[in-house]
Amino acid sequence: MPTELALTLIWSLPFLAAVIAMAMPAGARNGEAWLAGTVAAVGLVLTILLFPQVADGGVVHSTITWMPAYGLDLAFRMDGLAWLFCVLVTFIGLLVVLYARYYMSPKDPIARFYALFLAFMGAMLGLVMSGNIIQLAIFWELTSLVSFLLIGYWYHRSDARDGARMALVITGTGGLALFVAMMLIGHIVGSYDIDVVLASGRLIAEHPLYPVTLILFLLAAFTKSAQFPFQFWLPNAMTAPTPVSAYLHSATMVKAGVFLMTRFWPVMAGTDMWFWIVTYGGLATLLFGAYAALFQRDLKGLLAYSTISHLGLITTLLGMGTPLAAVAAIFHIANHATFKASLFMAVGIIDHETGTRDVRKLSGLRRSMPFTATLAIIASGAMAGVPLLNGFLSKEMFFTETAIYDPNVFVNLSLPIVATLAGMLSVAYSIKFVHGVFFGPEPTGLEKTPHEPPALMRRPIELLVLACLAVGIIPGITIGPYLAAAVVSVLGGDTPYYSLSVWHGFNLPLIMSIIALLGGVAIYVPYYRRLRGIDGDPLLRGLRGQRIFERLLITATNRWARKMVSVFGTQRLQPQIFIVVLLALAAGVGAGWARMGNLPLPSSFDPVLGLVWIVGGVSALAAAWQAKFHRLAAMILMGGAGLATCITFAWFSAPDLALTQLLAEIATTVLILLGLRWLPKRLPVPEDISIGMRLRRYRDVILAAAVGLGTGLASYAIMTRQAPEGISEFFLANAYTEGGGTNVVNVMLVDFRGFDTLGEITVLGVVALTVFGLLRRFRPAPDSADRPEQQRVQADFAEAQGSANVAADFLRIPALIMNWMFPVVMTVAIYMFLRGHDLPGGGFIAGIVMSLGFILQYMAGGTRWVEDRLRILPVLWIGWGLLIALLTGLGAMALGFPFLTSAFAYADIPLIGKVPMATALLFDLGVFALVVGATVLMLIALAHQSIRRPKPASTPQPRKREGLDTWN
Amino acid sequence: MESDLTSFAALAPALPEVVLAIGALVLLLAGVLFSKDRYEGVAIAAVVLLVAVLGLVVFQPNVGQVFNGGFIEDAFSRYMKALVLGASALALVLSFNSARENGLNKFEFSILILLATLGMMMMVSANDLMSVYVGLELQSLSLYVIAAMRRDSAKATEAGLKYFVLGALSSGMLLYGASLIYGFTGHTQLDLIVGTIAEGERSVGLIFGMVFLLAGVAFKISAVPFHMWTPDVYEGAPTPVTAFFAAAPKVAAMALLIRLVTVSFGPITGDWQQIVIFLSIASMVLAAFAAIGQNNLKRLIAYSSIGHVGFALVGLSSGTETGVEGVAIYMAIYLTMTVGLFACILSLRTETGHVETITELAGLARTRPFAAGIMAVLMFSLVGLPPLAGFFAKWHVFLAAIEAQLFVLAVIGMLASAVSAFYYLRVVKTMYFDEPVIQFAPAPRELAIVMGASGFLIVTYFATVGHSLTNLAQAAAGSLF
Repeated sequence: MPTELALTLIWSLPFLAAVIAMAMPAGARNGEAWLAGTVAAVGLVLTILLFPQVADGGVVHSTITWMPAYGLDLAFRMDGLAWLFCVLVTFIGLLVVLYARYYMSPKDPIARFYALFLAFMGAMLGLVMSGNIIQLAIFWELTSLVSFLLIGYWYHRSDARDGARMALVITGTGGLALFVAMMLIGHIVGSYDIDVVLASGRLIAEHPLYPVTLILFLLAAFTKSAQFPFQFWLPNAMTAPTPVSAYLHSATMVKAGVFLMTRFWPVMAGTDMWFWIVTYGGLATLLFGAYAALFQRDLKGLLAYSTISHLGLITTLLGMGTPLAAVAAIFHIANHATFKASLFMAVGIIDHETGTRDVRKLSGLRRSMPFTATLAIIASGAMAGVPLLNGFLSKEMFFTETAIYDPNVFVNLSLPIVATLAGMLSVAYSIKFVHGVFFGPEPTGLEKTPHEPPALMRRPIELLVLACLAVGIIPGITIGPYLAAAVVSVLGGDTPYYSLSVWHGFNLPLIMSIIALLGGVAIYVPYYRRLRGIDGDPLLRGLRGQRIFERLLITATNRWARKMVSVFGTQRLQPQIFIVVLLALAAGVGAGWARMGNLPLPSSFDPVLGLVWIVGGVSALAAAWQAKFHRLAAMILMGGAGLATCITFAWFSAPDLALTQLLAEIATTVLILLGLRWLPKRLPVPEDISIGMRLRRYRDVILAAAVGLGTGLASYAIMTRQAPEGISEFFLANAYTEGGGTNVVNVMLVDFRGFDTLGEITVLGVVALTVFGLLRRFRPAPDSADRPEQQRVQADFAEAQGSANVAADFLRIPALIMNWMFPVVMTVAIYMFLRGHDLPGGGFIAGIVMSLGFILQYMAGGTRWVEDRLRILPVLWIGWGLLIALLTGLGAMALGFPFLTSAFAYADIPLIGKVPMATALLFDLGVFALVVGATVLMLIALAHQSIRRPKPASTPQPRKREGLDTWN
Repeated sequence: MESDLTSFAALAPALPEVVLAIGALVLLLAGVLFSKDRYEGVAIAAVVLLVAVLGLVVFQPNVGQVFNGGFIEDAFSRYMKALVLGASALALVLSFNSARENGLNKFEFSILILLATLGMMMMVSANDLMSVYVGLELQSLSLYVIAAMRRDSAKATEAGLKYFVLGALSSGMLLYGASLIYGFTGHTQLDLIVGTIAEGERSVGLIFGMVFLLAGVAFKISAVPFHMWTPDVYEGAPTPVTAFFAAAPKVAAMALLIRLVTVSFGPITGDWQQIVIFLSIASMVLAAFAAIGQNNLKRLIAYSSIGHVGFALVGLSSGTETGVEGVAIYMAIYLTMTVGLFACILSLRTETGHVETITELAGLARTRPFAAGIMAVLMFSLVGLPPLAGFFAKWHVFLAAIEAQLFVLAVIGMLASAVSAFYYLRVVKTMYFDEPVIQFAPAPRELAIVMGASGFLIVTYFATVGHSLTNLAQAAAGSLF
C-alpha cells in the first residue's frame, strides 16, 4: 500500500466514520461500536505497518495541495514521535470503544457519543501527524471543541455543562494563543512547514520575538496539559462519561500539551526562560497534583489530580533541557497513558457495578470483584512507581535527572527534594485508592450488589495491565525500538546513550525511589481513617483555582461588561452626540495642534464690520441660549445672525450671494415660523435644577464653545492660506464672452452648469410635492390647539372693554400694508428676474421674492381670506417651470446644438432700457416659475394645517369652502 | 473640460449601476401605477434585478474609468460589488416571509433597498471625493428611511431618528474632511490626490482632513468610537431590516475605506495606520466586553458586528496588499455568516414575532435541531474556531498584521477573540443545554435553503470555496497596489 494513501487514511477514516455514525439509527449500539472499533483497528494496523519507514529517524510525508500561495497545504508527516502517539491514540481508542460498548447505557444517545469519539480520534491523529504548524493549531482547536462536546455529553447535568464550558474556555484560549505563537514562529522561520521549523536550529531561540512566542506557546501547552496554574479544568472535566475520561483526559488529549513541547523541544528549549518556566511550572504541578489527589473522595477526582501530577512530571523533564530528560519524558508519556487508561476503566467498572465512586462508601471490593481488583492494584503499582512495572522505569529516569548536580544551589536542592516528596505523595494516594476500595470490610449501603463486569468489558484493562508488566519487566524488547524511534525523531543526532534495563545498581535514584515508597506508606498508614473521610485538601481548600476562575469570569464577563456598557453604551442620543463631537474635537486638536504653524493676523481691521460681527455673534449665542426654552425668540435671533452673514457677503463684494442668503433666510424663517405653531412656544426655565445637571450643562457649553472656536480657527487657518487654482478663474474669464452675462453666478446657473440647475430644480419640485404629500396626511386633530395666546389676551381685554369681535380685526394695520405691498413685490420680482443675467438677481432670487409676496398675504389675511380672493395653482407653476427649462434645452438641440446651448443678444425695451436677451433667460424663467411654485406649495401645505376649528370658545361660524377644497 | 460621455458605449464600466438605477426607477413607477398594495411583485422583480446586475458585474467585466475619473471599475470594485449585490438580494429574500408583520409589505421597501444598493455600488467604485459623498449619501438616506419604515413602532422611529442625527453629523465630518483635502491638495480625484501628497510634505490641513474623512467613514462601518448607533438601530429596526443593515452596507463602507487609505493616502501610511489601529483595537475590545452583558439577540449581533469590523481592520492596519486581501476575504466570510445567522433568527417565529432574546432560544436543539445546528456552527465560526470559515477570516488578517510587525495588535486581537467566545458560546449553551420553553413555527423553505447554504459554506470553506475566494481576493487587492 502506498505510504501516502496510508497516512491519508489514518486521519481521514475517523472523520468519515464520524459522519456515518451520526447518520446511524439510534438503536444501533453494536453497529456503532463495530464501526468505531474497525476504524481504530485499521488505523492501528496501518500505523504499525509504517513503522519500518520511521524506525531510524525516517519521516513519511503526504501532502495535499490547497493554498500554495500561503504555504498552506494539507500536509501530514509521520516520524517516530508521531508514530508513538498514533499507536497510543488508535490502540487505546480501540480498547475504549470495546469498553464503552458495555459502559454506555442503552438510554444514552449512542450515535452522538460514537460520532464525537471518532471525530476526536481523527482530530488527535491529525494533530500529531500535522506537517504544517498552522494545521497543527487547527487540529489542536478541534480537539478542544470535541472535548467540550464530549464533556457536556450528559448536558442535562449542570456540573457537566459547567465543566464543559470551563474546559473549552481554558483550552480554547490556549488554542488561540497557539495560533499567534505559530504565526510568530512562521514569521521568524519564514515557513510553516514543520520540517523547516524543526531544522531551523537556534533561530527561534535567538530571535528578539522569542519571549513573546514562548509565552504564547507555553500558554497553549500548559492549558491543554492542565499545568499549574491552569490545572483546575481537568477535575471538572471528569463529569464526562468514563470512557471519555479514560481516553481524552488521561491518555490522549491532555498529552497534546506535552506533545507540543516535545515536538518543538529541539528549537524552543534550552534557554533560561524555558528552563525556569517549564521546569518549575511542571514541578509545581507535580507536587500540587499529588498533594490534592490524596484528599479526593471521588475516585475519578483522585485519578484526575494524579494525571495532573504526572503531566507535571513530564513537563518538568522537558523543562530541564537535557537530552536524557527528553528521553525520560517521552517514555513516561507512553507509560502514563497505559496505566492511567486502565485505572480509569477500572474506576468506571466500579462505578458501573456499585453505583458510586465515593471512596467513603466503597470498601472490600476484592471479594466481590477479584479480577478487577487485581488489575487495578497492578495498575496502581505502576502509578506509584513500584519496581517491575513500567511506571517505575520512567520515574527512575526522572529521579536520575533531578539528582544531576547543578551549580545553582536552589536548583540543585529543589529538584530532587520536590521530586521525592511528590513521589511519596503519589505512593500514598495510590495506596489510598487500592486500600480504600478493595480492602477493608464489606461495603454497606450500596445501590447495587457489586459483582464482576462482563468479561469483554474487562478485556481492555487486562491488555493494558499486561502492557504495563511487559514494559516493566522486559523494556528492551517490548518498547525499546519504538521508544528509540521516537527519541531519534526528536533529538536527531544528539541522541544520548540511555539504558532501559530494570536494574542500574544501587544508586541515588534508587534510594530516592525507596524513600518515596516508604515515605508514602508512612504518610498513609497513620492517617488513613482521616484521609478516607476528608474531601479536598485542608491547606489549599480555600484557594480553589475553580473558584478564582469563576470569580474572574464573573468579574470580566459581568461587572466589566456592565461597566463598559454603562460608560460607552448609552442608548440616549444626547450623550452619543456628545461623545462623537468630543471625539471630533480631540481628533481635530490632535491633528491640528502641532502642525498649525503661525497664523497670520488680519492685515487690516474694519470697526464697522467688527460691530456687525459682534451683533451676529451675540445673536447666535443668544439663539443657542434660548433654543430650548423660547423658540420664537431663538428664531428671531437666528435671523439676526443670518443678517450679519448677509452683510458680510455684501461687504466683501458678493452682492448676489448676499441677496440669495437674505432671501433664503427670510423664506426659511417664515416657513419655520409657520411650523412653530405646532410646537410649544416656550418652556418654563426650570428653577431648581440639581448640581449635577448644572455641571452637565456647563460641560456642554464648554464643549460647544471649544468646537465652535476650533472650527472657526481651522476655517481661519485655511482661508488665510493661498487657495489652489480652481475652476473659478475659468468662469470669471469666460462669463461674458461665452455666456453673455456679467453676473457670473447667474451665468453659471443658467448656462455653464445649466444641466446641473435643471437637475436641481427637478429635485426642488420633487421636494415640494413630497412636503405637501407628507403634510396633507398629517393633520392634527381639530380640537388639539388652543387659540393663539396673543389673540386670547386681546379678546379678553376687548371683552372687558365691552367692544366685540376683536378677532375679525386682528392685525388689521399690518395686514393692510402687506396687501398693498403685493403689487410692489411682484414688480420687484420681475425687475430682479430681468436684470439677473448681468447684475445681482436672476430667476432663483426672483422666484423667492415672488413667493415672499404670497407668504405675506397668507400671514396677513389668513389662509381662508387669501384663498377666497387669490387663485394660486402651485403645481401648474412647478410643471410649467420644469417644462420651460426643458424646452429651452431641447430647442438648442432642435437647432443642431448640444442640449442647453444658449445664444444671447440685447433687446431695447422702452422704459426699461437695454435688456440682455439670452436664451438663458427663458431657462431662467423656468427656474423662476418652479421656485415660486415649490415655495408656495410648501407654504400651502403648512398653512392648511391651521385650518381647523379652534377649541369651541365661541359658536362655529359658517365658512366658504370652495377655495380650500382644491387642496384638501 | 472634455467630457468622456460621448456615447453610451463609453458608459460600459458603469453599466451595472446604470441598469440598477433605471431598473429601480422603473420599478418605482410600476409600484405607484400598478400594485400599490401588492408588494410581492415588486419585491420579486427587485431580487431578479439585483441578481441580473450581479450577473453583469461577474460576467461582463468592463474595467476602466468614466465620468472624468470620478468612477472606477477594477477587480477590487467588482469583488466588493458582487458581495454587496449578493447580500442585498439575500436580505430581500429573507424579508419575504415576514414582511407583513414587520410592516415591510410596501413596495417602497424594495425600491429603497435597490437605491441603497446603488449608493453602495457607487461608494465601492467612487474614485473622487464627490462621487464618494454622493454614493455615501444615497446609501445613507435610503437606510435612514428603511430604519424608520415601521412608523407605528416607537422603537423603530427612535432608531431611525438616532441613526439620522448621528449619521448627518458624521456626514458633516466627512464633508469637512473632504473639503480640507481638496483645499490642501487641489484635487478631489483619489488617484490625483496621492500625487500631490507624494510631492509635498505632510501639511497640517491634509492630516486634519484625513482624520475627519476617516471619522466619517468609521461611522459607516460602525467602528468604535463611532459605533453607538449600531445597537440601537439593530434592535429598533425590524429584523429583516437589521439583516440588511448588518451585511451589505458594512462591506461597501469597508471597501470605501480601503480605497481611500490605499489609493489616496498611500504615501502617509504611517499617519492613517495609527487611526486604523486605534479603531481596530477599540472596536475589538469594547465589542468583546459589551456584548457579554446583552440578552437581546440583535444587540448582541450588533456588538458582534462591531467586533468583526475591528478584526477586519486588523488586516487593513498592515497597509499592505496581503492585508487588503485579508480584509476582502474577511468581509466575504462575515457576510456569509451574518446572512446565515439572520436566516436562522428569521426562521424562529412565534405568535408574537421573531425571537428577540437569547433566553428564548433555550432548548432549541430539541425543538428545531436544524436551525440550532446551523446556528451553533455559525457561532463557532464567529468565534473563529477552526476549521470553520471564521477561523480563516481571522487568520488572513492576523497573518497580515504579523507580517507588518504589528505584534501587539495581533495579541490584543487574539485576546479579544478569546473574550468574545464567551457570548457566542452562551448562545450555543442556551440552545443545547437549557430546557425548551417556546415552540416555534416551522421554517419557510427559502430561509431553510439560505441557512443550509451558509452552514455548508462555513463548514466546508476549507475544502470548497476557500481556494477560489483567496484567488479572487488576491486579484482584488492587487488592483489597488
